[in-house]
This record gives sequence, C-alpha cells and structure tokens, in this order.
Amino acid sequence: MTPLLTAENLVKQYPVRGGMFAEKRILTAVAGIDLELYPGETLGLAGESGCGKSTVARLLTGLTPPTSGSIKYEGRELARMSKAELAQYRKEVQMVFQDPFSSLNPRMRVAEILGEPLEIHRIGDAAGRRDKVAELLRRVGLSPEHMMRFPHEFSGGQRQRIGIARALAVSPRLIIADEPVSALDLSIQAQIINLLQDVKKDLGLSFLFITHDLSVLRHLSDRVAIMYLGRIVETGSRDQVLNRPLHPYTEALLSAIPSLDPKKRTRHVIAKGELPSPVAPPSGCPFHPRCPYAQPVCSEKRPELLEKVPGQRAACHFSEEIFLKEAK
Amino acid sequence: MPALLEITGLRTEFRLKSGVLKAVRGVDLTVEPGETLALVGESGCGKSITAASVLRLVPPPGRIVAGSIRFKGEDLLALSEERMREIRGNRIAMVFQDPMTSLNPVFTVGFQVAEGLRIHRGLSAQGAEREAVELLTQVGIPAATDRVKDYPHQLSGGMRQRVMIAMALACGPELVIADEPTTALDVTIQAQILELLDRLMAEKQMGLILITHNLGIVAERAHRTAIMYAGEIVESAATAELFANPLHPYTKGLLASLPEFGTPGEKLATFAGGVPDLRGDLAGCPFRERCPIGDDACSRETIQMREVAPGHLVRCRKVS
Repeated sequence: MTPLLTAENLVKQYPVRGGMFAEKRILTAVAGIDLELYPGETLGLAGESGCGKSTVARLLTGLTPPTSGSIKYEGRELARMSKAELAQYRKEVQMVFQDPFSSLNPRMRVAEILGEPLEIHRIGDAAGRRDKVAELLRRVGLSPEHMMRFPHEFSGGQRQRIGIARALAVSPRLIIADEPVSALDLSIQAQIINLLQDVKKDLGLSFLFITHDLSVLRHLSDRVAIMYLGRIVETGSRDQVLNRPLHPYTEALLSAIPSLDPKKRTRHVIAKGELPSPVAPPSGCPFHPRCPYAQPVCSEKRPELLEKVPGQRAACHFSEEIFLKEAK
Repeated sequence: MPALLEITGLRTEFRLKSGVLKAVRGVDLTVEPGETLALVGESGCGKSITAASVLRLVPPPGRIVAGSIRFKGEDLLALSEERMREIRGNRIAMVFQDPMTSLNPVFTVGFQVAEGLRIHRGLSAQGAEREAVELLTQVGIPAATDRVKDYPHQLSGGMRQRVMIAMALACGPELVIADEPTTALDVTIQAQILELLDRLMAEKQMGLILITHNLGIVAERAHRTAIMYAGEIVESAATAELFANPLHPYTKGLLASLPEFGTPGEKLATFAGGVPDLRGDLAGCPFRERCPIGDDACSRETIQMREVAPGHLVRCRKVS
C-alpha cells in the first residue's frame, strides 16, 4: 500500500534571541523526522510538552513551512504543488485543535463557523450549505437548532464537537487532531473519543492523533510514534510499542503513568531530571542525560532510528541488550 | 482524640445576579494525621471551593453559609481573621495547581519560600534564607544555594512546582491541601513530584487532601477517596475498596469511561447529558437526569449518605 502522507527528514528551526546583545541562537523544534501515514489508519504521535509534536502538526497541515525536508501527499511534493493542488490539499487535510475555547471565533454563529469552509472551497449554494451544516451538526451529536447560536453558549465538550464538525465540513480524507480531548473533563473525554472513532469508521478517514496521554493513545491508534526533543525515538504498532517498548524513554513514559489498580504498585522507572533545552540539545543520544541505561557511547554517537524487530523501530544503541535479551 | 480535620455540613454559596449558586451543598469529610484523602470530581463539582473554604479563602461573592470546619477540634469558622492568619500557611498549607500564576514574578523564589518563616517563625532575613536553601534541597532542587536567587520565570514547570511544595512545607504544617498539584506537568515530572509528596507525608506524618481528576494518581497515592458531584460527596471509601467495588452510578460511570478500561478501538462507556445548574434549589438526587438506574422517587426524596459496608459510604437510594 502506498502511503497517503509521507514526511522525509523534516526539520523546523526557529531563531531565538537571548537578550539585546546575546548571540542569535537556533531552536530546533523538529530535528529531522520521517513519517508515513497510510489510508484508513490512525497514527498516534506522543511525547511530552516541548518535544515538537505540535510543530509536526503545523508542518503537515501546511500552516508553517519546514526549514528543510519534504512532505509528500499521494506522492506529490507539497512545496512543488500548484495553487489549485494546494487548495485541494488544504481541503483534504483538516485539523482539530486542542482548545475548543480559543479555536472557534466568538463572534461567529455556528452556521457561519461551519459554512465558512464550504464557501471558501465553493461547495454548494446557500440553501445547500444550510442543509450541509444541519447534517454536520447531527453527525457530531448536536441539533440543527443550535445553528444560530454563538460558541459561548456551548459547553467545552459541545464546542469540541463543533470543532470536529468544522473539520468534517469539506469532506477531508485526513484529519490531524492535536490533543483534541486533553482540555475536557473525564466523562466528556469518553464522548469525544467515541465520536472521533465513529467518524473515522463511517467516513473511512485517516487520522494523525497527537497526544501526551498514553491511555488515549492506546485506545485510538493503530500505529504509534514516540517523540523526544524533536526526534522520533520509537515507532511501531500500538501493541508493539506500548506492550514491549524498545526505547528507554518509551519505557520511562509508560512506567510514569499511575496504575489504576490500587493493589498493583508498578515499579516506576523514573527518568531523572528534565527535558533539556531544544536550543542546546545534548550530544549523542538526546535522552542520554536522563537515561538509566546510558553508556559512554550514548553521549558520543547519536543512534539512528533502526528496525529492531519487524515493524518496530527504535533509536537506541542498546535496545537489544536492554529489552530483547530474555526474549532470545 | 479529635480528627486532624473534620468538616461537617459545609455549605458555600455564591450570590450572583442570576441567582444563588450553591457550589458546596453539605459536605462532610475527615482527615487523620498521616492520611492522604483524595477528593475527586469533574470541573465545577465544588472540590476546589471546598478546599478554599477550609482556608477561609473563598473568593467574593462566595461565602460559607453553614457547617463547621474543625482543625484538631478547633472550629476554624469561629476564629478571628487574625487567628486564622496564624494557621493559614503555617499549620495548614496549600499547593496550587499552576505554579506560574501562584508564584509572585517579581520576587526571588528564595524570598518567597522564606516569607512564611519570617512571618510565622519570626526568623531573621538571613536565618530564613538559610532555612529556604535547606527546604529547596529537601524537595530536590539541585544547587539550591544559587537557585534561591532565581526568579520564577528562570525555573522550569517542574522546578516551580517543587518551589511551591517547599513553600507549603516551610513551617512544618500538619495539613497540606494540594489542588491538582501535577496537572500542569508532564508525566515523567509528575511521577517525580508525587514520589516527593509521598515521602514527605510519610516522614512528617502530615495529613494531605489531594484534589485531582486523575484517577490513576488517586489509585496509587490516596488512602481514602471521596467522589464529588454537583456540590455533594456521593461516595467515599478506602481507595482499594472504592476501585474494587464502586457503588454509586456516577463513580461506576466515571471508572467505566476511562480509556484504560476500554478495549482499544471499541466504544467507551459514556453518560448522557451534563451537570445540573447549581443555581436555585435542587430537589432529589442531582445525578438523576444522567443516571441509568434512577426512578421517579430519586427526583423527589432528599438522598442521605449511608454506610453500606464498614467505611464505605454512598449517597444513592438504589444501592442496597
């Protein structure tokens, strides 16, 4: 199967200024990542704040141009697309944002919020658009009567439903969702997760799902990729990565999640210290200062993201020794 | 011996233009020394207002209209403001959710940690600063001698939360109230902070009220758990008992809706509807509208908390 979306050696750097006389420095938010997203699949991208996962979303939607590297959609390179092709790309790849409070224009009625993408992409006439808006509202579990209301008249969960309806308005093929449930209350979170799964199944969409919550990641993803300091450190199928991680960072992330069984106190492999600054990333492996297994070579040579078992890749010099020993 | 903290019949209301909002509607809670009590609920359920009530820091136009809050037998609601100030930050301390907004950006962290010591202990400026260095070291801040001179913006989120904890612990409080202490932090940092709180609680035999919506943290850290809904405690029990044997339909629903308990790719359990409007009078059970087992009598009767097993209390007439 050919991938729907491919990112190759994607890099995004931002210049930062320390102070008036300080030297200009470079912050590398995304430090060369490769991604493939296949039709109909959900790829979960996880990592802690500042690891670059939201920048990846902005690069893939075309909201921010990459510093280098390429993004291909159905084999065509984004940077070489004609205006018409780019418009088509922007129609087919939609985004759902994290915060349903700041991502809807407070001065627009729901009918305008959902109608705007239809107008921009010249879909239907006025009456047709109104029918489409009503259909979209029903699709996300709201009532067409809500059409004339403003965003502030809705709860957080309802607003996120509107955000999802807006993404669905132009019949996309791929939805990039950046932490779509993390601002919501527990009982509402489950409703939105179910809705996302319903639309994915019914409309046959592909999803890139960005989250820091590994239990949500496990629930929604077919494949997962774990990011650390601008790089993908591990990728594979959901069960591979979350049941048998091959990178110490994935292991630390998984073991830091409190267990819901009060009788089972999991042994926490606690990652020491904190996320280093992306302005001055560590030499060698970016995780080595926090890694419990670090060896001298880890600070000298950066490990490549290599296939360790079929379908699962990890960027660690010692994956085999640490995680695959007893399996042999 | 009286409990460390005993709240009975607490009611806190906000007089708004649109009516009286009853945020806390008759809460009973106790905390023993060395015990961690988790207070769990979704936004707007009244858990933070309950905490603010204990410290008598309910923001206007809110006020406590009924109930008593006894701290080692002494009714905090009857104290003068001056006496209350001697307790606040000294014997009862608070750790807030967001260290960026609850630390003062124009003072060094050393000054802020030392402030309580100067006020409550009467330490000199130098004495208090020496103590602050000691406290920051205890909460795991490296090179504390240098860090005391830093301003909040110079520290990371995890370090700022450690500073908040050092501030709360400065005067050796007997009770700490932590309102979502790790919500703003990443999981690897969250694990570090929770380990730290655990260790300090055990060492100093402090009581802890842990306010959170993260049920994983509750399962791992709390001795007892109280579930709040629409201003009331709807269920409370020892944590292991509550997770093994949830009885209130709201608790059951909340646990069932977690992705951890779902099968990947399958639907998660949800409940319909939303939280009731807390303005005006609520007759009967506030969960009635969303409840899968409720009947007509639930919306008429006032439902009392009942002990259905030793130490396991539930506010539901359908539970036998």
